[in-house]
Amino acid sequence: MRQIIVTIALLIGLFFSLIVLASGMSDWRLPDNQQGYSPPQPISYSHRLHAGELGIDCRFCHTAAAHGQHAGIPSTDVCMKCHKYVTSSFGALQDELTKADEEKRKPKMIVSDELQKLYDTLGLEDPRTPNPDGDAKSIPWVKIHNLPDFVSFDHSAHVTAGVECQKCHGPVESMERVRQFESLSMGWCINCHRESPEKGINGHAVNASLNCSVCHH
Amino acid sequence: MNSKPTNQNELSHFGTRNSVPVGPILQGNEALGINRRRFLEAAGFTFTLAALNGCSRPEAELALPLVDQPEGLIPGQTQSYASTCAGCPAACGLLVGVRDGRPLKMEGMPEHPLSKGGLCAVGQALPLGLYDSHRLQYPLQHGEQSDWKKLDQQIRQTLDSIADSDGAVRFVTPTITSPTLQASINGFLKRFKDARHITFDSVSSSAILDAHEKTHGSRLLPHYLLDKAKLIVSFGADFLGTWISPVEFTAAWRVGRVPTEEHPVMSYHVHFEGQMSLTGSNADRRYRVAPDEYGTVLNHLYLQLAERSGQSPNREGVAGSPVPEADLSALADRLWDARGKSVILCDSQDVAVQVVVNTINHLLGNYGTTLDIARPSRQRQGNDRQVLKLIDDLNAGTVSALFVAGTDLTHNLPDRDKLAEAISRVRLVVSMAEREDDFASLAHFVCPDQHPLESWMDAEPISGLVSLSQPLLQPLGETRSILESLARWSGSEDSEYDILRSSWEKNILPRVDAGAFREFWDQAVHDGFVDVKPVETTVGEFKTAAVSLAPGATTTGDYCLTLYSRIGLTDSRHAHNPWLQELPDPVTKVTWDIYVCLSPTTAEKLKLTNGDVVRVKTGDDGLSIELPALVQRGQHDRVISIALGYGVKGTDRFANIGPQWFEGRPTVEKGELVGKNAAPLIIKGDATLQFVRSDVSISPTGQHRELASTQEYHSLEIPRNVAPHGAEVRDIVQLTTLPAFARNPESGKAELHFDPEVQLWADDHPQENHSWGMTIDLNICTGCSACLVACQSENNVPVVGKDEVRRQREMHWLRIDRYYAGDDDDVHVSHQPMMCQHCDNAPCETVCPVLATVHSNEGLNEQVYNRCVGTRYCANNCPYKVRRFNWFEYPHEDSVLNLALNPDVAVRSRGVMEKCSMCVQRIEEAKIDAKRRGEPVADGDIKMACQQSCPAQAIVFGDLNDTASNVYAEQENPRRYGVLEEFNFQQSVSYLRVVRNRDDIQQEDGGEHV
Repeated sequence: MRQIIVTIALLIGLFFSLIVLASGMSDWRLPDNQQGYSPPQPISYSHRLHAGELGIDCRFCHTAAAHGQHAGIPSTDVCMKCHKYVTSSFGALQDELTKADEEKRKPKMIVSDELQKLYDTLGLEDPRTPNPDGDAKSIPWVKIHNLPDFVSFDHSAHVTAGVECQKCHGPVESMERVRQFESLSMGWCINCHRESPEKGINGHAVNASLNCSVCHH
Repeated sequence: MNSKPTNQNELSHFGTRNSVPVGPILQGNEALGINRRRFLEAAGFTFTLAALNGCSRPEAELALPLVDQPEGLIPGQTQSYASTCAGCPAACGLLVGVRDGRPLKMEGMPEHPLSKGGLCAVGQALPLGLYDSHRLQYPLQHGEQSDWKKLDQQIRQTLDSIADSDGAVRFVTPTITSPTLQASINGFLKRFKDARHITFDSVSSSAILDAHEKTHGSRLLPHYLLDKAKLIVSFGADFLGTWISPVEFTAAWRVGRVPTEEHPVMSYHVHFEGQMSLTGSNADRRYRVAPDEYGTVLNHLYLQLAERSGQSPNREGVAGSPVPEADLSALADRLWDARGKSVILCDSQDVAVQVVVNTINHLLGNYGTTLDIARPSRQRQGNDRQVLKLIDDLNAGTVSALFVAGTDLTHNLPDRDKLAEAISRVRLVVSMAEREDDFASLAHFVCPDQHPLESWMDAEPISGLVSLSQPLLQPLGETRSILESLARWSGSEDSEYDILRSSWEKNILPRVDAGAFREFWDQAVHDGFVDVKPVETTVGEFKTAAVSLAPGATTTGDYCLTLYSRIGLTDSRHAHNPWLQELPDPVTKVTWDIYVCLSPTTAEKLKLTNGDVVRVKTGDDGLSIELPALVQRGQHDRVISIALGYGVKGTDRFANIGPQWFEGRPTVEKGELVGKNAAPLIIKGDATLQFVRSDVSISPTGQHRELASTQEYHSLEIPRNVAPHGAEVRDIVQLTTLPAFARNPESGKAELHFDPEVQLWADDHPQENHSWGMTIDLNICTGCSACLVACQSENNVPVVGKDEVRRQREMHWLRIDRYYAGDDDDVHVSHQPMMCQHCDNAPCETVCPVLATVHSNEGLNEQVYNRCVGTRYCANNCPYKVRRFNWFEYPHEDSVLNLALNPDVAVRSRGVMEKCSMCVQRIEEAKIDAKRRGEPVADGDIKMACQQSCPAQAIVFGDLNDTASNVYAEQENPRRYGVLEEFNFQQSVSYLRVVRNRDDIQQEDGGEHV
């Protein structure tokens, strides 16, 4: 009898630990493999909406991709090019207009929660009035694609060669929250560097080096 | 990995349950209740947990973009700004590489008319001074933190009352080349009745200026145009190392030092000196003369030349020459033939000696050709007479206010304690030091000046050449530019930018034919310098009445002591810079310490070897200093020399620089500083500060202090007992003489006993795209070591500290080997930069078990840090000994210094081999840049860090596949050779043979050595 109780207790224990393990497993990787990493960001900016639905070119915001080693995260003033005027979703604005029409009043300014966070980083109360005394801060985006320190990667070299952004970053235009699509491991890099001189990129002949020092210096 | 702490936690858990302490378990004591098996179980479990731990996500890293990105700024790309180096008053042109708002890499400005793209070690090391948390971050009042407002108010109040009572105000600075700062100081001092600006150079050239006052009626320093000189005769002036403007002089000296097949001509460089200086080591003919005998030699030279000019000077009372008469007569002949194309330089602080120098230069017609006095140099303005007067005034207690900026007055002058006592009686003492130096600790107020990279300033090193320096980042502390401090005390609220701009509009603009100020200013900021009309100087005719022979030497002691400034440190200003402290002295190769140089004969006489501590005693004033001895080839037997600029307050901070381990010794012993201050030995002469004194005796103390030297072998001669065919000289540095070179450009070439066609490996690694190569012209390489610090800055080479250097574990990727040959009266010195030779048949590559060092298809020998497991086989197999092993992590002692790291180069961790990568990050950047432009990489697009800094432009780098490239042309140079070529390593780096301009040495056209 006692043995059975112990066995049952152990099985229950095992069951729970397996559940804990299984849920934890989803976050487990081999060291340094960050594939699928998709941390929450301080502002839930949607690439699906901007790059997908609205069709804004990647390089409209990531301006340095063709000019320097970092593609660059857009500075807040780039966001404000549009969001000085666009303060909420079209639906919410429409609703407010209808409501104001019904109530026979001037429509109020509608600011969505996420955009309010953007204005907060700039120290703005009202998106249209710049506040000279406002304490503007950088938006603390969480880095997703993070290569080890001993690797150098230059965006402009790849963009100039005609490599599409999606080749490494995946279909970002369909991602609500960006995740690391590829493993970005050395083997994965080398594969492309081996294949592309043979196959070319978009019909262009390219010269991808296999020298170690191209990336490791 | 955190396996170790977890392991211990786990064990202590077991420990509490069984009430067993952890310690004994580890010793395997089974009687204590835990057996070996359970211990292993527990250990295995913890290791597994620890391993699984590694599979979790690393901590999230933030990416913070700018709020408002300036136009044209590309993250991660270097932008160059034109500026002016403020490391010394030479004011070389600077291109500051700024990346993401951080100034990182100092480069010479190729367009600059003086420095021509070169930059010395001090200039290269500027960023380390910038990112130094030991710099003062706020103003001090009586040693306590203060704020500017309160401090300004108090200084102004005191100044008002001093002005009312007609008190004496003294403002001490080193040489100021800045017209704006000079005007500001003058403006500030205007309101006081008894005010004086005193220029105090810690290593001064006051005697040259005083001599010109006597001979030309104007206290000026000529601008020496060494590029126009076919014959350079120097008396102790270390113009390639530390004298006045070494980078400019090296660039100019180089012009006459490149003989070609078609034009086998070189300038002739004769050097007289007592100690072995860098310049002396590069001379064609070097004579050992004690510095107190320069006057005698110059007298003889003058008499010889005067006779040739048809005069019959009075020879009475002239002492016998220490240099053979025949040699002097031959030199006089050559000088006479090279009239107007020669130059005599002298660093003596004896005005009478400098008058003789001027007379000779005048006699030879050099004024107006090689010495420009119409546009004189302003790089040394020190006026020792004023300094001596100031000391008297201070001692007499007649000074009411003392301001000191840019120099450490009490550190750099003798009689420190008496001076400090006198200063304590001054009513207002203000220091504008960057750090709390010795004088600052005596000052009532310390108003820290900004670092030159943080502030606006201008400079006029040569009359008519005005340059600008601009701030490249926000000041890192609550510091304030001296221009602003002076403005505040004069009652103005202007910013330094406004002060500088208005000064330029008022004073500089009228000196050019420019239209609107705005365009002129913008262009000047862009270019970094402008040519303007020189300031009118009233230079009189040469006054023959001033001509008199120099008095003979009056020696009272056994030895003659020379105090000199060391390359890299110059004076106390740069003592806080670990790159410069670890920079091996180009001649002695010693780092991190001060020493007394003495000749081998003297050392033998006193039975001294390197590191034996000796007591140096002076005659009248009875001072003494105890320092380790260093036996120096080429040193005059009666001359001992000690460097200035050591023993600087606060350098005890370096005690723990370098790795801390059980056998490690501190770089600075407890209670000590880096070196000792030799300034107390300076003599206050009648008119000048004297750095040479003849009343010195030395005695051994019996103690020993090991010196950390980077080179322990000094000759390429194989010792007789190990040489296979008798005594031989190895062909590492190949030499020839000019006459032999003229007969046969390949003279001096070593015979090669191998057939380069015979290969051990199949030739199946074509270098189709590029084949990078380098040549170094040993004939113009002076060994100045600018490249060494440039490499350190570019490649994140760590500082290891004195103890590690002593163990031959310094990390410099580039070293400069220095070899001696010949006898001590006529010693030949060779300097050879040595770094990875990037062999195509590399011995290191074949022995690496993990393929961490491999060959690229562009001819580079690559070191892959993340693959390296640290077997060190490669270093053992490298015949050039250029590989460096990271025995430890070498973090900066000051974490702020991490801001100076180059983000393009990995910081290597412990257990990894490293070496010169041929600045592969620069190659890659240039290739990508060319790709973006859609053009091939052009010759000259890529410059190695060492090449860029080289004041002599001795280094050429390029693509050997490009037949139009400079480096390809250099391969065809008849002087080209490879080091250890006979092993057929097929190096990518080759050297150009040294050519000595000597006709008194027999050089056979074949391979015999000098």
